[in-house]
Amino acid sequence: MFGKHRQSRVFEDFVLLKTMPGDTFSSLASTYLKDPNKGWMIADFNGIKTLSPGQELIIPLSPLDRGGLKADGYQTIPILVYYNFSDSRSDKMSVSKDDFETQMNYLNLNGYHVISLDQLLNFIDYKEQLPEKSIVITFDDAWGSIYDIAVPILIKHGFTATFFIYTDFIGGGKAISWDQIKQLSQQGFDIQCQTKTHRNLAVLKKNESFKEYFNSVETEIMYPKKLIEKTLDKDCKYLAYPYGETNNLVIAMLKKHGYRAAFTIGRKPASFFVDKFRINRSVIYGSYDIEQFKKELSAFQKSELK
Amino acid sequence: MKKLINIFSLFIVLSFFQGFADPVFSFEDSGDKFAKNFSEKPPEAGSIFQPSFCLNKSKAFERMDELQLALFYMKIANTLSPDDPEVSEKIINLKSKINIKSGDAFQKGKIFYQQNKFEEARIQFLTALRYKPDHTDALDYLKNKLIPKPYMLYSPKKDDSLKSISEKFYRDPGFEFLITYFNDLKPNAEPVPGQSLKLPILDPELSPAAVDIPKKITAAKGLLEKKRYQEVIGITDKILKNDHSNKVAIELRNEAFYQTGMELSRQEKNFEALTMFNKVTPGYKSVDKVIQKAIHKEFLKAELLLKENKYEESIHLAERILSHDPSNMATQNLITTAYCQQGRSLLIRKKYDEALKILGDLDPANDCANKIRSAAQKAINVQAESHYLNGVKYFLNEDLQNAIKEWEKTLELNPSHEKAKINIKNAKSLLEKLKKVN
Repeated sequence: MFGKHRQSRVFEDFVLLKTMPGDTFSSLASTYLKDPNKGWMIADFNGIKTLSPGQELIIPLSPLDRGGLKADGYQTIPILVYYNFSDSRSDKMSVSKDDFETQMNYLNLNGYHVISLDQLLNFIDYKEQLPEKSIVITFDDAWGSIYDIAVPILIKHGFTATFFIYTDFIGGGKAISWDQIKQLSQQGFDIQCQTKTHRNLAVLKKNESFKEYFNSVETEIMYPKKLIEKTLDKDCKYLAYPYGETNNLVIAMLKKHGYRAAFTIGRKPASFFVDKFRINRSVIYGSYDIEQFKKELSAFQKSELK
Repeated sequence: MKKLINIFSLFIVLSFFQGFADPVFSFEDSGDKFAKNFSEKPPEAGSIFQPSFCLNKSKAFERMDELQLALFYMKIANTLSPDDPEVSEKIINLKSKINIKSGDAFQKGKIFYQQNKFEEARIQFLTALRYKPDHTDALDYLKNKLIPKPYMLYSPKKDDSLKSISEKFYRDPGFEFLITYFNDLKPNAEPVPGQSLKLPILDPELSPAAVDIPKKITAAKGLLEKKRYQEVIGITDKILKNDHSNKVAIELRNEAFYQTGMELSRQEKNFEALTMFNKVTPGYKSVDKVIQKAIHKEFLKAELLLKENKYEESIHLAERILSHDPSNMATQNLITTAYCQQGRSLLIRKKYDEALKILGDLDPANDCANKIRSAAQKAINVQAESHYLNGVKYFLNEDLQNAIKEWEKTLELNPSHEKAKINIKNAKSLLEKLKKVN
């Protein structure tokens, strides 16, 4: 029946209600979906952007579209990866401050939802629904310029991001420091692993025996995970492959050691049925103009599902 | 009677929402972000909870083949109008339609899967899941069977040992440690028949015994004849990872890089060609000559740019040449000349500071640079002196503030101008004294 203070009826699968002054999508999501971040689900389902007092709403209590499947295709999630930044000039691996600002601004103005890796993996695990234009932002290598140039812009736009670090680099000349990493983690940014030394996990080094290779890969996978978890007191469960390269042995080892997913490099965006240990990320190069950037943002793959 | 009950239910539902006649004002949720592309307008207030609204919505979704949404709205209609037989019947029909469509798609998917047509199978399983989101079998295909496993499962036979299993799968009994590692077994464990062992699948380049080198050499030779150089490079790389000194593979790899470089060179992509040529073993064929030829072509371009007074472009190109051939004297000289000419151009345009900056990194013994530097410095000193004299004029006219400003400009241009320094000090002291007197 209707509650004491608002007119609402809660059923097994949905809620019917009339909004009251002060209601927001977040507050309604917090009350009925137990998660203030799911306000977009209410907005999307009811096809509205704003709320007015007395507005009638239907709130589905469970995700209706977990895999993002539609009659004409399925949802895809672009995952962007950036490496280095510069104040002015950009080169292949360095994005200029102005370009990054333009790109983040574009995402903001065009209704993209920047989501975390946990949200992405809940979608891939077919547990959660995501907003139609969801996107993930990641950074590799932990160059100091990421902290100096990219982070303030992310904060300005309220975007979250994941930093894949290779731990031997941290604290070095042009790298981010552990203090900065701790600060980022406390600010809610996600710190994950890109191995210990950034070796190519898929290739034997010259004159390296298979056993030496095996031991080295195990160290590359285990050491930084423990170090990050100990230093930040947070789970380290995602890995970005150096150079984007992997093989079956590496994947088997990641699974054995409790990693939830791992990321390679490639332009095909992620769907919910992607191989969790070969998830593509699109590199955003310094030479990209905004048109090339837009091409990396595909959030839907057409395919007749009838 | 039923009709009466329906009307009564509708009346009850509508009455729940009476009295909501607050003035409508919009309040955005600033802490949240919403989808911004809406194709449909929100329904008018007061209509959304009417069974007819939900019924119509359901029918619209059914027409669009979005049967889950159709069912969802029909369930709401049923809640609002529980005794409407049409609604109950529609729900049964929709559920049946969903089961049939998802079942059909799933069966098609299984057939494609058995035929190893995995892409077609995936589309069908996705279709099954779209119609019926809880179709666990379709989900299992999509999330497990269609995703390659990094290991295979093996059930040991009687008399199997870890060494024999290792020999069987990896062609090397020494790889038994892989089996113990991935199955949490002790090193001397005996496999038990019936148990399921995980055996990681090794990529060919990790398992020397598994790389059939003669076969790969033959394949690489065939590809070379067909001018499929990238594939030759890929194959020979794999061979050389396992056999670093395989002469045939080295030869094939050299030829592939050499030919790729020649092709790029013909397309005037000289730097890309150089990258290829530099991967060839020095001395192979005429690689050293073609490297020089590619460099010379780019040098001529840099020289032309210089003649057109495009200094920066010329320098940039010359620096690229040096990154491939650091000891190229002609290119080094070209860079010096370009800087000098750029400096001279700046000098003519009275941009003395910029001229000095541009020439800053050049060899101090370079004549041309020295002459320009000296001329620029001289011009700056003249400017400094002019400001100094202006200051003196102001001073004589008892305008101490402007006198100081002029002398400060003098010092900016010539920091070692002693007279200006002394005059500023004296003028400031005078100003202080005047302040006290006033």
